[in-house]
Amino acid sequence: MEQPRPGRRGAEAVLNLQPSSSISIAYHPLFGPHDDLILLELDEKLVPDVLQQRITLRGQPDEDAVLCTGSKTYAVKFVGTSNSVLLIPPSDQSEFCEDSLDCDGKDDGERGVVSVIKVAPGSMELVEVAPRLDKLKLLLSVSPYRFGEEIEMEDLEETEKSNRGLYKWDDLVQEVQASDDELRSGLQALSAVEIGSYWRIVDEKYMDTILRMLLHNSVLNDWSLDALNEDEVVGVLESDGFPQKLARHCLDVYGSKVDESVGSHVWRLDERRVCVHFAREILKEGKKKTESFMAEWLQKIPEGMRASFDMLEGEILTERFGVETWVRPFSVSSLPSSPAERFSILFRERPKWEWKDLQPYIRDLNVPGLSSEGLLLKYTRRTQPTMDAEPVLSAR
Amino acid sequence: MQIRVKCNCGEGNCPEWAIVELQGTVEAQPAVQDRLQNLQIGLLCRPSSQEVYTLTVGYHELTGSKVPLKKPLLVLKKTKHSESDNQIGDASSSSRVELHVIGIIRHRILFKTRPKALISKSEPAVKERSRTPGSVASN
Repeated sequence: MEQPRPGRRGAEAVLNLQPSSSISIAYHPLFGPHDDLILLELDEKLVPDVLQQRITLRGQPDEDAVLCTGSKTYAVKFVGTSNSVLLIPPSDQSEFCEDSLDCDGKDDGERGVVSVIKVAPGSMELVEVAPRLDKLKLLLSVSPYRFGEEIEMEDLEETEKSNRGLYKWDDLVQEVQASDDELRSGLQALSAVEIGSYWRIVDEKYMDTILRMLLHNSVLNDWSLDALNEDEVVGVLESDGFPQKLARHCLDVYGSKVDESVGSHVWRLDERRVCVHFAREILKEGKKKTESFMAEWLQKIPEGMRASFDMLEGEILTERFGVETWVRPFSVSSLPSSPAERFSILFRERPKWEWKDLQPYIRDLNVPGLSSEGLLLKYTRRTQPTMDAEPVLSAR
Repeated sequence: MQIRVKCNCGEGNCPEWAIVELQGTVEAQPAVQDRLQNLQIGLLCRPSSQEVYTLTVGYHELTGSKVPLKKPLLVLKKTKHSESDNQIGDASSSSRVELHVIGIIRHRILFKTRPKALISKSEPAVKERSRTPGSVASN
């Protein structure tokens, strides 16, 4: 590396220009468009993440790139300027140490020259955004884990697995525009499980089978659904032919640890999640009359659990036809996470919503910098025929 | 795909770059327009101990000041590695892009006033042209 020649100076000479002195500004011997030099504006609080190399850009060539820290996702936008932004590197920037003689013969030697390497047309700015997790669901839904697969899988080569639409963590990070933390909670929200280092959604029917078997065994063995011993449950399910991993996953999806501390092995089944599961199973075929749905539901849920209609918020819609009411599956988890698409589907579903019906379908929407009131203002129109009537929301 | 932003600066040790920013465009005489390298733009002067600066470009003098940026700017350098010198069995991408942090900018010397005409003897190499309201600067 060549030492900067005396007389040619860098950014520090500009930034530390002493009172009553001056310095000549010139184009750098390597002045040019330098499209490979990019300015990125970011919050001071993100600088440590950059220095410790915790920042990544994620996205496919056909997607707008996002910038991810460990926990957040930012859209990257180019903001142009009409000003002339003269960019001056420090003198010891090795990339721009010129090796030609072309700056000789200048007479500014005594006070020095600083060099402008490029005129920046603008800079990239960051805007915090919600993680783009819809794609995660799409990817994992292609090839859900099915019963009997563990035997089949053993014969497959690595390359065949990747062709079958299976994804490891490192593959997901390449594909999904979300930070690591957001990707992890996205996987959890989808009830995905890592099996043989591939992240999978387990086929609903398979989950239903394991859950029924678990409940069946709890009756046989007189287990309490509020205090299930993990080793015992997993052991019994294993002897029934379910892989350990899936037995544990079943506890994880339908239950929670009684004691959050590490080393605890006692689980409690979650009443709501179990009841919702059976409601979904019943409505798989389509809509049902409310009475017959309720009768079937109450009969299906395990002894000791109490189903209530409130549990089905965001899962079903009730419709009135004359004196009859019908229920039909409409799950919030099947809806897109972008607010514009979400509202468009909701209003296609029903042109008018009462707030109490709509709320379960939008409460999970997360738009950084926009409150839920803000969302409503942006995407809905609120009408209230009379002072004491329920306000009604319709499309904007 | 994922591009990790690399940084060899270490904790708090990023080389600081500088920005001199002025309104409108700096335009060189047509004779030298296509070989700007090494051409002098002007003289940056700090007349007093205040953070007030002047920039003299040809017949014109601009007055401005040193201002900290509200948010720092990182200087990133993009490099492409073609797969030929980097044999990874990844069929989907033909080239790998790397981003390196090579500097940080925290201050700029901003000239936002219109230039003041100077009476000068010497023929300037470049002249600064300020934009008049409503017109578009063209090079």
